[in-house]
Amino acid sequence: MEIRLHGRGGQGGVTCAKIVAAVHARLGKSVQTFGDYASERTGAPVRAYTRVSDEPITNRNKVYEPDHVLVLDNTLLGDEVVSGMRAGGTLIIDTPEPPTAFAARYGAFRLATVDATGIARRHGIGTRSLVIVNTTIAGAYARALEVPLDVLESAYGELGFISNFEAAREAYENVRIAAPPGVRPGNAPGNGAAGPADVLALTAHRESPPTQLKTGSWRVLTPHYVQNLAPCSAFCPAGNDVIGFIQAVVREGTAAAAATLGRSSPLAASCGRVCPAPCMTGCNRVEYDGAVNIRGLERWIADRVPVARQDRKPCAQPRRFAVIGGGPAGLSAAYELAGEGHAVTLYEAERELGGVLRTGIPTYRLPRDVLDREVAGIVALGVEVRSGRRLAAREVAQLASDFDAVILATGLQQLRGLKVPGVGLKGVVQGIDFLHQVNLGGGVRLTGHAVVLGGGNTAMDCARSALRSGADRVTVAYRRTDREMPAIAEEVHEAVEEGVRMLFLRQPVAFHGNGAVAAVELAEVAMGEPDASGRRAPVVSGRSARLECDAVILALGQSADATLLPPGWTLVDGRLHGAAGPLNVFAAGDFSTGDGTVTHAIGDGRRAAGRAMQALDLGVTVFERPDRKKAVPATDIRFDHFARAEAVEAPCRPAEERLRDFEEVRPVLPDALEAHRCFSCGQCTQCDTCLVYCPEGIVRRKTGGYDVDYTFCKGCGICAAECPRKALEMVEPCPSN
Amino acid sequence: MPVELITANHAAGKAAVLAGRANRSARGFGSGVYPITPQTECIELLCRESIEKGEVVRVESEHSAMAVCIGFSIGGARSFTASSSNGLAYMNENVFAAAFYRLPIVMMAVNRTLGPPWNIWVDHGDTLALRDTGWVQFYCEENQEVLDTVLLAFRLAEHADVLLPVLVCQDAFVLSHTMMNTDVPEQDAVDAFLPPLDLPHRVSDTPRTVGGMAFPHETERLRLHHQQAMDAVGAAYAECQAEFERCFGRRPADAVVPYRMDDAEIVLVSMGTTASTVRTAVDAARERGQRVGALRVRMFRPFPAESLREFLAGRRRIGVIDRDLSPGLGGILWGELRGVVGGGSLVQGYMLGLGGGDVRPAHIDVLLKDLLGRETAGPPQIMEAGT
Repeated sequence: MEIRLHGRGGQGGVTCAKIVAAVHARLGKSVQTFGDYASERTGAPVRAYTRVSDEPITNRNKVYEPDHVLVLDNTLLGDEVVSGMRAGGTLIIDTPEPPTAFAARYGAFRLATVDATGIARRHGIGTRSLVIVNTTIAGAYARALEVPLDVLESAYGELGFISNFEAAREAYENVRIAAPPGVRPGNAPGNGAAGPADVLALTAHRESPPTQLKTGSWRVLTPHYVQNLAPCSAFCPAGNDVIGFIQAVVREGTAAAAATLGRSSPLAASCGRVCPAPCMTGCNRVEYDGAVNIRGLERWIADRVPVARQDRKPCAQPRRFAVIGGGPAGLSAAYELAGEGHAVTLYEAERELGGVLRTGIPTYRLPRDVLDREVAGIVALGVEVRSGRRLAAREVAQLASDFDAVILATGLQQLRGLKVPGVGLKGVVQGIDFLHQVNLGGGVRLTGHAVVLGGGNTAMDCARSALRSGADRVTVAYRRTDREMPAIAEEVHEAVEEGVRMLFLRQPVAFHGNGAVAAVELAEVAMGEPDASGRRAPVVSGRSARLECDAVILALGQSADATLLPPGWTLVDGRLHGAAGPLNVFAAGDFSTGDGTVTHAIGDGRRAAGRAMQALDLGVTVFERPDRKKAVPATDIRFDHFARAEAVEAPCRPAEERLRDFEEVRPVLPDALEAHRCFSCGQCTQCDTCLVYCPEGIVRRKTGGYDVDYTFCKGCGICAAECPRKALEMVEPCPSN
Repeated sequence: MPVELITANHAAGKAAVLAGRANRSARGFGSGVYPITPQTECIELLCRESIEKGEVVRVESEHSAMAVCIGFSIGGARSFTASSSNGLAYMNENVFAAAFYRLPIVMMAVNRTLGPPWNIWVDHGDTLALRDTGWVQFYCEENQEVLDTVLLAFRLAEHADVLLPVLVCQDAFVLSHTMMNTDVPEQDAVDAFLPPLDLPHRVSDTPRTVGGMAFPHETERLRLHHQQAMDAVGAAYAECQAEFERCFGRRPADAVVPYRMDDAEIVLVSMGTTASTVRTAVDAARERGQRVGALRVRMFRPFPAESLREFLAGRRRIGVIDRDLSPGLGGILWGELRGVVGGGSLVQGYMLGLGGGDVRPAHIDVLLKDLLGRETAGPPQIMEAGT
């Protein structure tokens, strides 16, 4: 018995022929199986053969008069697949069509059809660019030739394909077989001896002959250049086009990078210093040799070229907006609204704009000239500022009727208290108040030992500011472990460098002292079972110890101050509602979400501005944070294409030097070479990898990308498999040539 | 003996691994390897296996691969490598060296057309170009024979009267990439067949130069020894065949393999897998009443002149089918064979399947018709098999 397979390079036809042989070998037959080998690669029509006999096989020829034929790719269907085939033999075709669809053409044969490609795809069999059908269609063969399923299964076990057996079983069960309608003549036997072709002498060639082989007809999948979401951009709460500004630095220069940043955020120089940089957590380089220093690059760009746009869009009917709160959310909303050409009045309780950037974050992290410059850039867009007075609830209600819409971005003004004995003692202060005093030049002087309670960035800011304000030593006590600390790891590291001592799994249960605090009593804490959010809750034990101290700073978090809201107002999904229904008042930033970072506030301010304009039918698209799950995963990046290189970080000033002042701790990067480490996940950089790897040499450069010559593209998928950054995918159905 | 469904490449690789392990109580196994289509599967298998007291060294060229084998072998290890086509051409200098050092290295060659222009299919020209390197040469026609011959080659190469390297050839793709049911012997049987190697001239504890300067009178003697070793192969081979049969229960074929020769007036002589196809054509011719027989030359070096002379004595027409071309002469087998045939026979040379065409019984029929129509021999004919 002779069996011939027709497939394409990469579909595993030779392996399929081997499975067929192995099945018959298990039934005690002599078998022989081999493929046609040539220099063609994926996509080329390929034949494979199997002979089965009761006698030893001595035939060394290919199969010219097969008893049965398997077609692994229905685009190969033609006269050639049945060349020399004996009448009544079984023709097995990979197709979703029923056998009747082929009866007219192949009526001389017993027809069997199975959607092997569909089954193999459902079972996930194949490479990153191609579905491989060989192990699936062999199941249909077994059924058509009445080979018991358990023989097939044991052959799969022996060949190491057992994980593909379920697909084979599905093909076995679903193959549709139609007997030939009657005896009709088969094909003329193939003589296999093609006449000698006329071949030009090697010495007669003057140039490379043009190829006559239009390999484009082999194609079942087509390479398609795509833009996929980069994880850095997906992870940025502010909605920055992170990959865009990094790649702009590399290819278009600093001004273009700054403009890209300015489209989503006016506070890049500030974010480039204080952001916890979720983008760097998402960076695919983390798994390879460390995240790209995106925060450092953002700062490098914004320190050179202010990012805020300088022109308002022309607006036919400018509306009037009030923004309450001049912190990052309010500034972001005002920037967005003014940029769209509307009239914006910004209300701020403090004398100067900036909110937590000014009152909370110490100057050694964010110098005030940097903040002032960025705030000035926003105001210069035409924002009217009313500062220095905290609005009462009834004034807020008045603004809602005076303006077309109001953005409420007052942050977290309500301090989280601590209900333990002695909290009222002198020397126990709130961290926010302490930082406010330090940052606004209150001349705070501490002495002796200061204890900071908390584990967030505020706690770190308090601890380090305390050291700079005269405290001899500072201890931070946190009720969880270092792994759970919400503070940015670099901040913790720098604090420890400066001499701050960390105490973990400690919770205050009392403050002691005679008028002024002299000691804090810290109970030991154990980590309990994870709660609904997956975070393990601390469990306070009965054991405690006293820690002598001269000052206690509480950095336990804040919440929104609802007393600001006029009576009857409620917050529903970021929008304020009155008795009569929704108001054109939108909450933004921490007041709305409590996410607690500058970058979240910027994104939310932008989003609230968009919603306010949308409520006024101004035809804008509201910013929504992209879906992180759609970002290119690290497994789609070809690490082999990238040289390993450590991230560049500007080293901090020495700890002993920086403790003497409130000057900035970390200098700016020396250059932007770090941007060259960016993988550019999901976005073509015209790196030429596809062009270099294309075995046909038919990928050509064009402005902004590449052209593929589909006359010759055989759909091998090597370009997509080799693309280092998932900017090229194989798609189907196959676009026409 | 477990039967496995494997390619002849893997058959050769498995035989080499079994032979290598069989020397574990002596100086072990060492191999230098470099890939080339269509033998790469063989050395990949070698690299994958863990061989007790064995080392497979991946090098940058065929020249170095053989140099590594020479080093291992001269240190007393059993040694094996594989190559093909232009790889063999590049290895050439050290192929000579291995033989002149009298080292019992075994090499498996997959016969592939020499380029340019590039061609990966079967043609015997690559190993026939090594005809004068001083190696013993076998040409196989099926998978089991490849496995058996590699095992047998070690025994023959290490025979005290021989001590020569042995080349085991097989046809590209027709064997190398074709899977067939193959008996793969157990290690115990191979251990019994291949005793530990004790190379008399191995380099041991004292460093010394091997193969330095030799004067004409010395070289004359060394060449004589080489020829004497070749002369001893016939008897040593018969011993090996008997031992092989004792250990594995099947007898390897003789140096020349006859088919339906008893009353044959017409004889077709060939090597490799062409011989299988010739047998099919012979059967058909016999059915037509033509007295046709066939010989397969399995051992090409030393050339089995005596055996061929006996088989061919008194035959009227002899057609020699070469799958090679020595430009300016014709087929190499034909060229050799002319010297051993008596004057009464017509010896016609044919070249068929050059560059790897699928040689089919129909092609042999055409050739046979040509031979039957001749009264005198003409110049060698290049027949075209097409794709």
